[in-house]
Amino acid sequence: MIETRDLRREFGGITALAGVSLTVADGERRAIIGPNGAGKTTLFNILTGELEPTSGEVSIAGEDVTRRRPHELARRGLARMYQRNELFDPLSARENVALAVGAVTGPYRPFTSPPARDLDAADALLDRVGLTDRRGALAKVLSHGERRQLELALALAQRPRLLLLDEPTAGMSPAETARITELIDSLDRALTIVIVEHDMDVVFRLAERITVLHEGRIIAEGTPAEVRADTQVNEVYLGKVVA
Amino acid sequence: MRRIVPIGAALIAAAALVTFPTWSSGWESSRYATTILRDMLVLAILALSLDLLVGSAGLPSLGHAAFFGGGGYAAAIAAQRLANDDLLLGLGAAALVAAFLALVIGVFAVRAAGIFFLMLTLAFAQMVFALAFQATDITGGSNGLSGVHRPTLLGLDFNAPDALFQLVAAVFLIVVALMWRIRSSTYGRALVGLRENERRMRALGYDTTRLKLSAFVLAGAIAGVGGALSGWSLRFVSTNDVGVARSVEAFVAVLIGGTSTLLGPVVGAFVVLYLERVLPSAIPFAETVLGVVFIVFVLAARQGIVGLARTAYERVRT
Repeated sequence: MIETRDLRREFGGITALAGVSLTVADGERRAIIGPNGAGKTTLFNILTGELEPTSGEVSIAGEDVTRRRPHELARRGLARMYQRNELFDPLSARENVALAVGAVTGPYRPFTSPPARDLDAADALLDRVGLTDRRGALAKVLSHGERRQLELALALAQRPRLLLLDEPTAGMSPAETARITELIDSLDRALTIVIVEHDMDVVFRLAERITVLHEGRIIAEGTPAEVRADTQVNEVYLGKVVA
Repeated sequence: MRRIVPIGAALIAAAALVTFPTWSSGWESSRYATTILRDMLVLAILALSLDLLVGSAGLPSLGHAAFFGGGGYAAAIAAQRLANDDLLLGLGAAALVAAFLALVIGVFAVRAAGIFFLMLTLAFAQMVFALAFQATDITGGSNGLSGVHRPTLLGLDFNAPDALFQLVAAVFLIVVALMWRIRSSTYGRALVGLRENERRMRALGYDTTRLKLSAFVLAGAIAGVGGALSGWSLRFVSTNDVGVARSVEAFVAVLIGGTSTLLGPVVGAFVVLYLERVLPSAIPFAETVLGVVFIVFVLAARQGIVGLARTAYERVRT
């Protein structure tokens, strides 16, 4: 589904990614883990087109999409959930989702209100993420957990083939974490999901394969059991978290 | 019932506006009031079109007069060169030329954001000003174009002051209706999305550069129509119409009235023109009042007159 070849990215003199080659199969659920500064967010921003790689290639479903702009990637079925919420604060939850639903048909209808089916689709998505009771509330008054749920609804509204989740449980209470993990776990199995996450319980629950990033390089990749058993991974990352 | 009352009120207000010269004819100052109100409506059209950028899309343009004046010149020159005073020719020429100007300027300007967008629009408008100033053969240069013919349409002649007022009022009402419709449309919502979170809009699959450009061109075309009306009103088009002072006037009207509301730019235009044209005959130093009012609004009431009124109303109701 998505493949990178030897991705490098430098910021000034600092190397954030030092050659990352990654292949995620159709329908796979892949977690990317690693300590802070390992290059996870840089990798995400390159995958979504918000950042250009210094060198290397990205392809989606076999098509080279390196240096494509974010909206072009979105139209090829890529959706993302941001680490920090990127919502439309003064709009209601329903209007937020309606904007995402409307992106498929495009904005150039200056004289027609959003069609009923767009609003119905928005309501269905809000129901899916458990926000039906809050659909009239403005995004800015929602709790942190609710905002994360709304983020997910926006991403799903794009009808993605590939969903990138950047720390979906960041800053959430245990109950909220359990809820959103459940939600992600229940998504369509045909959807390819790449998730960056610090909470290892969430990672081991959701991921089929795990890629470990350290100082801009992949140091391990495999099933959760394989990664858990890897001594190098334990040294640089897991050991610290568990201990 | 809940829909019929506001629609009925709006229709009555519209009828009252268009017939203003008739029912005010008993007043001693009816002629003067009609002229002032006409010019207020023209400025309101400019402010409404600017608010599509400043309010809805969050694009602070300080060069909107380029399209206003461009439209004014286009209508006057088209009528003069083709020896045809047809209303639709004038409005069409104004909208097309202004839209074309906005397209050319917008292609560059919409790539910048915030203060840089503001400076770019200002710089491009100054280029248009310089062009108008120097192309003496076409624009009359510093003399401007005087003796602009007022238009006709299917035997209707808009030369008489009252008829011209009605034309301006009718176009104003059409622009208000258009803005009202755009505001609640899919397109209007997308513009608000742009203002609130452009990054997210891109991630959702919106081509935000094109979306901004489309708003810039649409706002430019409407400003151009306002410019044509201004030329007919004053029978005169000059570099003042493309100058930075006119851009600032519209911007101040939007901010004082309140951005992102239908009524705000209209109220703002009325206040600005009142302070500029009516007050100076009553008190000394009136010219500085506008500056003071503007400073007060920027410092203490960013939501503008309409925003303040709305907040007060909500407080009283609860």
